[in-house]
Amino acid sequence: MQNDTLSYDTLNNRPLPKWLIDQKEGMTTIQTQKIVMREDNSLKISFIVTSIFILLAIAILTVYFLKKHKNQV
Amino acid sequence: MKPAYYKIIILAGIISLACTTRVSEWVLLNSLPNQYTLIYFHNSPLNETFKKQNLTIADRIKTANIQFKTVTRQDIKEPYYGLYYEDRLFSRYNNPDEFRNLTTSPLREKIAAELMAGKLCVMVYLMTDDKEKDEKGLQALKKALGASPFGKIITVFELSRNSKEEALFASLLLNVEDDLKGIQEPMLFGVFGRFKALEPLLGRGISEENINLMIDYLTAECSCLIKDDLPGTDILFTDKWDNPQPALLNKIIDENLSLGN
Repeated sequence: MQNDTLSYDTLNNRPLPKWLIDQKEGMTTIQTQKIVMREDNSLKISFIVTSIFILLAIAILTVYFLKKHKNQV
Repeated sequence: MKPAYYKIIILAGIISLACTTRVSEWVLLNSLPNQYTLIYFHNSPLNETFKKQNLTIADRIKTANIQFKTVTRQDIKEPYYGLYYEDRLFSRYNNPDEFRNLTTSPLREKIAAELMAGKLCVMVYLMTDDKEKDEKGLQALKKALGASPFGKIITVFELSRNSKEEALFASLLLNVEDDLKGIQEPMLFGVFGRFKALEPLLGRGISEENINLMIDYLTAECSCLIKDDLPGTDILFTDKWDNPQPALLNKIIDENLSLGN
């Protein structure tokens, strides 16, 4: 249930109506998006992924060539 | 152009219109009032007299935001009528004479006429009949409306909580929150839309600052946040809400665009 207003002494603890609190806090207006600064790890991730890719490629090619030229060795 | 494109353009137009409509206008045009339920509780089979009586009552209130039911209960001594809003019991009546004007009254008709005429809202000042207390709030109200650019499109009605003619209306207002009946302070209800009453400002809370916040709320652009969680209680009233006059608020905002922010 919605709550309401303040009044004289005995009613001081009575909460204000929700619509009034929202209006005071600007909650009823369209809120702008809050931009939060975050640590940028994209470069680090990119290096790791690229390194893994290169290592994998070398490993696969090594195995491939070793198998292919097994007889010659 | 394909018909589907037309539909998309029209839909986009409607959506963009909805987002720039002000709260008061949007509620009047789109928000259907919540239903009350009047229940006749009885503990024995109804005889013809009571059946006829209940049919008359159901017929009398059928155009209002209320439905009528009869319920058999073995744990009651005497039959009675209970008026419910959602799951809250608003009032209990022992006979139909006590709620003869349940769905309408002269003041409610005046308020509805103001809302249909395009007014921003109607402020109902519910007085305690204690002159000192009543005067203080009334002065704050007059001052706030006098200084507000929207003062001219807000109508104020004063109502005594002890009024006999408007006793049912006063009772509905005092049921907007469940503890209001026990608080002997003047109260200010913002009534807008299709007779929706905001939770009131009361006593010392009837200040210029809070009245301006109420006006700000009603003149704000109608965000989805407001649409999804509309405050207030719909007051019982029998009227048609079709074809209201254009909102006078828009004219004021068009003439002074800085007020629209």
